[in-house]
Amino acid sequence: MLAIAGAMAEAQSPAARNISGAWVPMGGGRGADPKVAPPPATPIVLKPEYAKAYEARRTAEAEAVKRGEPVATPAILCLPYGMPRMMTVASYPIEILQTAGQVTIITEAFSEVRRVYLDQPQLPIDEVPPGYYGRSVGRWDGDTFVIDTVGIKQSVLSYNMLPHSEQMRITERMRLVTPDVLHDQITIEDPVVLEKPFTYTLGFRRLPKYEMVEFVCENNREYVDEQGRVRMRTGGGQK
Amino acid sequence: MRSLISRSLLLGVLAAGGTPLLAHHSFSMFDQAAPITIAGVVSSVEWTNPHVYIELDLTEPVKGAKHWSIELGSPSILQRGGWKFNTVKKGDKVSAVVSPLKNGDPGSLLTRITLPDGRVLGNGGPAGVGPGTTAPNAGAGASSTLGR
Repeated sequence: MLAIAGAMAEAQSPAARNISGAWVPMGGGRGADPKVAPPPATPIVLKPEYAKAYEARRTAEAEAVKRGEPVATPAILCLPYGMPRMMTVASYPIEILQTAGQVTIITEAFSEVRRVYLDQPQLPIDEVPPGYYGRSVGRWDGDTFVIDTVGIKQSVLSYNMLPHSEQMRITERMRLVTPDVLHDQITIEDPVVLEKPFTYTLGFRRLPKYEMVEFVCENNREYVDEQGRVRMRTGGGQK
Repeated sequence: MRSLISRSLLLGVLAAGGTPLLAHHSFSMFDQAAPITIAGVVSSVEWTNPHVYIELDLTEPVKGAKHWSIELGSPSILQRGGWKFNTVKKGDKVSAVVSPLKNGDPGSLLTRITLPDGRVLGNGGPAGVGPGTTAPNAGAGASSTLGR
């Protein structure tokens, strides 16, 4: 009993809630520690009318990549990723800032910014203007920071390039699994597109003293030709 | 049918893991199975996002072109591999192992570059190294970790 009480006190200590700082996505492979590795994703089941189109698109994309003619994605046009994909873009770090009444998450890739309002009620989805980041509110549940996000526009692709409706709701449960490893368990609900919610977990390692690098997408030499293929402009770009 | 779809979607998710392999775009337009070496004088360096570019006037034409463009990772990814914004400068004589564009245009993706002082740098480095942290010695033949 004492041990449980001690563990709870530990879980709710300021240290357990200190997620401020820079974090880098945990990769697999060399140096990966299975003890802190995120659990695998749960199955994704799209409604049949969406599954067919998604499968067809993914197959076409895979074939185009094989041909060396990748198809366009929003990132090719230097558009930001938005939620939820912005939370892990390759190995680019993210930065979390905890201030009074707000937690701010800034990504290095494309300098995207999320503002999470603490202990505020969420608005009905229909009252949030659809955008890249929507509206996020957060609260601490013991040692877990729970974020609720709604209001993501349909052109912002979901996890793994999945489609979604404007009824999508993103619930994140962020928790330090060790003082230097953060997990972000992300659950996507969408009654229009998904048969049932799915959950995946991102892992991050703390980056002490890291200074975030500027990222302004100013010199984009990739372009999309009339066939929808990605090409690279050669011979000098920025003047 | 539905179980088949869900299984194939799940496989896609597992294959992708939590971390997309590519940041800004697919690199399948470059022939990474057939790298070539090009050498010449740097005519410009663009230390920019989403990619850094080096423009090279070749000593000897390659595939009929005397001027080639080399795409690198982003500044963030490069500085993890020991690069600085002024590591390569206009006028430097360099040679580079690159993956050429499959479509035959004189553009390429860097694998590694040999600087005038003999140092060899790759196309980026492991995650989490930057200003305020200890930059690793990229060393000769540092592998490309662009986008990972």
